[in-house]
Amino acid sequence: MDNALYVGLSRQMVLRRQLDIVANNIANADTSGFKVEELMQKVNPAEPAYTLQGPRPVKFVGEDGVIRDFGQGALRRTDAPFDLAIEGKGFFQVQSPNGPLYTRDGAFRVDDNGTLVAQNGYPVMDDGGGSVTLDPTLGQVSISQDGTITQGTTRVGKLGVVNFQTLATLQKTGDNFYRNTSNQQPAPAEGSKIRQGMLEGSNVNSILEISKMIEISRAYEQMAKIMDSNTELSKSAVQRMGKAQ
Amino acid sequence: MQALRTAATGMAAQQLNVEVISNNIANMNTVGFKKQRAEFQDLLYQTLEQAGAQSSDQGTIVPTGVQVGAGVKAGSVYRIESQGTMTQTGNPYDVAITGRGYFQVLMPTGETAYTRAGNFAVNDQGQLVTQDGYLVQPAITIPQDATQVSISQSGQVQVTQPGTAAPTVVGQLELATFMNEAGLSAQGANLFKETAASGTPTVGTPGLQGLGTITQGYTEASNVDAVSEITALIVAQRAYEMNSKVISTADNMLGVANQIKS
Repeated sequence: MDNALYVGLSRQMVLRRQLDIVANNIANADTSGFKVEELMQKVNPAEPAYTLQGPRPVKFVGEDGVIRDFGQGALRRTDAPFDLAIEGKGFFQVQSPNGPLYTRDGAFRVDDNGTLVAQNGYPVMDDGGGSVTLDPTLGQVSISQDGTITQGTTRVGKLGVVNFQTLATLQKTGDNFYRNTSNQQPAPAEGSKIRQGMLEGSNVNSILEISKMIEISRAYEQMAKIMDSNTELSKSAVQRMGKAQ
Repeated sequence: MQALRTAATGMAAQQLNVEVISNNIANMNTVGFKKQRAEFQDLLYQTLEQAGAQSSDQGTIVPTGVQVGAGVKAGSVYRIESQGTMTQTGNPYDVAITGRGYFQVLMPTGETAYTRAGNFAVNDQGQLVTQDGYLVQPAITIPQDATQVSISQSGQVQVTQPGTAAPTVVGQLELATFMNEAGLSAQGANLFKETAASGTPTVGTPGLQGLGTITQGYTEASNVDAVSEITALIVAQRAYEMNSKVISTADNMLGVANQIKS
């Protein structure tokens, strides 16, 4: 009899987690390079329940992982010379104290030494794994679609855009960065273009997120209703059995 | 419930966004003003199941983990140093910079501040000063009997005096640049100060070493584009509303949980 309660509870727990993820998507709807996430669910079969009509299956709901949609976000013009967006696949690489990190957020700056850095000061890596240093006296910086950085007429380097075979094993570390958690090696991304003076917005579809939220909220209420009627059922069973005595 | 806190970070971020946008709009007609933009970053993630972790002794791995994010934060608010449009004023002491560089201003405290606002004036001693009366560096004094003042593209200040046919050079305007101009700290009154992030200033003659040139009789307008600011404001307002919707949904779900009969 309690099975129904526990099955309902497992569903409610997953719904809460789903709402947490939708909330994070909506909070980051305006975050450059953010990729929308969704919770996958699975069936967790348990011991069958024994009834007068024989065994009945009992299946709980469980979390099966978070998938990210790595689809392109909309590009918006900012006119800042070091705002870069990737059109197509791939990630910029930055050098953190704990190894390389990967990001789609190309809001870069130049620090006091002239090094191209990400917002938190980690140097951006070029195609050879080194950092990029700019000299302000050389004039305007232009970055071509393939990542070649030119100042005036001098070539100062080339930005590395890399991609992975499987994106699912990338782990988010916050600050718009991903860490590689598997053994696969990043390879130069093919066919992607760098756009200077632009940033990639998030690929969060707000209408979709709001409708997901309504669905979650209603499903949660539904489960509460089922659990309520289940309680009513046990109550009336106890009352009837009391009368029969 | 995590969703409540996550949505609260989203609302706080959008509030900051609106503050930055409103400051841009308020300074639309401020000489030499550079627009700012708030950049956001996602917060830390709670990893409930690690992607790539072993799921059996046979070496199979978990293909996708479960990571739940905690919301958003402001990564940085930075200035976009693009050129503002030139506004003709006809005032001989109005100078605009085309390209990189800042004028140097001596503060009453003895420190040097930097500005793009070249709407200068002359004080009672004939010295070139900012709108607040602070001396422009290097100091330039215009003689009282000067009939005409001309400032060249390279910043040379010449005056014509009665009785002499040839103009006299009375000073030279210089510009300062920084490795990271976005790292300068804004002091209000169109002034900026050097920080550890900006690097030390390099002072030079306008037009040389990548520095901008000077145009007399013009001021540099702000680089704020009203249409894009209003668009950004609409987006920020809608994002704020969506986050508040998440809060009411989470609240509703908690209410439902409280009403389950025991």
